[in-house]
Amino acid sequence: MSDANFSRRDFIKLTAVGAAAVAGTRLVKEARASSSSPAGEHQWAMVIDQSKCTGCNYCTLACQAHNDTAPENQWNVVSEAGEVGGHKTYIARPCMQCAKAPCVEVCMVGASYYRDDGIVMMDYDKCIGCRYCEAACPYQARVFNWEKFEGKNPAVPEWGSPEVERRPRGVPEKCSFCYHRIDRGLELGLIPGVDADATPACVGACPTGARMFGDLNDKNSLVSLVLKEHASYRLRDDLATGPRVYYLPADPKEMDTEVKS
Amino acid sequence: MIAKLRAKFPTTTPWITWLGALGLLLAIGLTCGILIFWRGLAITNLTDLVPWGLWITIDLSSIALSAGAFSLCAAVYLAGLKRYEPVARTATFIGLIGYSMAMLSLMLDIGRPDRFWHALVYWNTHSLLWEVTMCVCLYLIVLVLEAMPILAKLEWLRKRFPKITAKMEHVHHYAPYLAIAGLCLSMLHQSSLGAVYGVLKARPFWYKPEMAALFMFSALVGGISLTIFASMLSARLTPKARVNDTLLERVAHFVGWMLVPYLYFRAWDWLAMTYTYQPGRSEGLDVMTKGPLSFNFWIVEILFGAIVPMILLLKQGTRQNRFWRMAALAMVVGGVIAYRWDINLGGFLVVVSYLPGEATVAYTSYFPSLVEIGAGLGVIAFGLMAFSLGVRYLKVVDHRYVAQEHETVKSEAPETVLA
Repeated sequence: MSDANFSRRDFIKLTAVGAAAVAGTRLVKEARASSSSPAGEHQWAMVIDQSKCTGCNYCTLACQAHNDTAPENQWNVVSEAGEVGGHKTYIARPCMQCAKAPCVEVCMVGASYYRDDGIVMMDYDKCIGCRYCEAACPYQARVFNWEKFEGKNPAVPEWGSPEVERRPRGVPEKCSFCYHRIDRGLELGLIPGVDADATPACVGACPTGARMFGDLNDKNSLVSLVLKEHASYRLRDDLATGPRVYYLPADPKEMDTEVKS
Repeated sequence: MIAKLRAKFPTTTPWITWLGALGLLLAIGLTCGILIFWRGLAITNLTDLVPWGLWITIDLSSIALSAGAFSLCAAVYLAGLKRYEPVARTATFIGLIGYSMAMLSLMLDIGRPDRFWHALVYWNTHSLLWEVTMCVCLYLIVLVLEAMPILAKLEWLRKRFPKITAKMEHVHHYAPYLAIAGLCLSMLHQSSLGAVYGVLKARPFWYKPEMAALFMFSALVGGISLTIFASMLSARLTPKARVNDTLLERVAHFVGWMLVPYLYFRAWDWLAMTYTYQPGRSEGLDVMTKGPLSFNFWIVEILFGAIVPMILLLKQGTRQNRFWRMAALAMVVGGVIAYRWDINLGGFLVVVSYLPGEATVAYTSYFPSLVEIGAGLGVIAFGLMAFSLGVRYLKVVDHRYVAQEHETVKSEAPETVLA
């Protein structure tokens, strides 16, 4: 094809092919970016020991105060989970911070996204409030701000003081593993999971030490050691969402000794 | 009382009364809309367990019932069934209204309507709603272009700006290209709207591949039905609308045949769910076939939404009878709306527990609040009013009208570019 014969049609064709190629690469890149969480330096995880959990709800109250949530918008929910060996058991459910999070996959504007350390974040400034993430979450971990939370937070100051801004009306919110505590702690040279100030508020508030937090990339962290030594499970593992919250099933023997002591 | 009103407004014609009624509904809708923007979604009956309700049904239904536009345009401009061109014109206008209604109800539904533009600027290409948004917006552009020659029919515009209307009419020359774009975009998003539900593995009642196919199929059946029904109703009510009944009867016959595979797929979809017990899915099926949605499912969706109209439209006697044909088509439209409602709620009303061990299932309930109903009625009134005005002033239902021949072969020499 000589230059003189390079018609407008050819030009349009070439441009279209070029544009399609650019768009194609972008699509593939973005689709890959949202398919699962990236592997950063830290991989935060939480372990909840059902043998130790007494269902006291302190975790929820601490969360409510530190994250300044409305009383009806609990990010952490404690529910009864049957009896084992004559002892009542409980399940405390924060956000699972899934490695393949359905909420991140379905969010049309990318307001739900992964941090390098695996935390599933909400960009409250980007969200348009379509609630597709709420429909997609198998753990009911998301709550919508049907109205603006105004007035006094009943959990403050008894259970802590607010560390993050209140969310606006019209967006869903959820547990963030207290990323602000982790980030500030790391800046101060603290170790999340070891120093209470760098650890999610619910972990520090637990009176029985049922909640543990730490870095799965650190082989000597409490969570790594506990998960190595004990059998554990995750909620709705059948859905292959890859939760970062692990549960140690209630052990009646351990619960007996705890009652005695 | 009516006689008294008559005496008071002696000039009132049915047309004015109709517009007045719609205007009243629009005013109610506008009031409810303002209330919602002011007070937020807290005044609706939507909850964290049922985050989508009446408005999403209106949104899904109006998009589905607009499917006549792309399918009839494809039939006329791509498959060469030129004699149906006036029917495609009506369908295009209905499509434009339907997508506008969808946009309106979405604006009500999202928590941050001030950020609606985020959907276009921030992309998560992995999300089905992203794909739907892109397709719907692009298709809305296609519809506006396709409707240009129709809007150019406005007398007032023709007199004032004859050059502009000439340009608008010229867009018709690109009808085949627009039909291709419309076909691609519509096939994509009509099915993806089903896939929006179908990809959610957290909701076993929806989590299946046939959601996309069923949404596509029901949209085709419902969209074409609404087009013919609206045309026939207009022709009955006003001399401004003229229809060629043989043409409409043939399309109705086609709808009758389409209902056969639709019913088959719908029955297959439902029977396949009965094979094994699956937590959430089986309960969802019970909610639909025995629970709060059962009347909707058996009567509105299956009996009067598919079986009865299928018989009425396939049987020559009833199909040729205008009353029965119109009744059958209206039933199909109702069935498609009921289908959207049942699918949405069937998934949400059943809550599968995340607790370990045997999966337990809880139930929730939903009934739209007055504000939701009021705003929804406003959206519907907008659609009805737009169509009524179209029939009267744009002659959208006029089968005597023959469009200009569109360009099929480009005869002029291609321009060359100097390099």
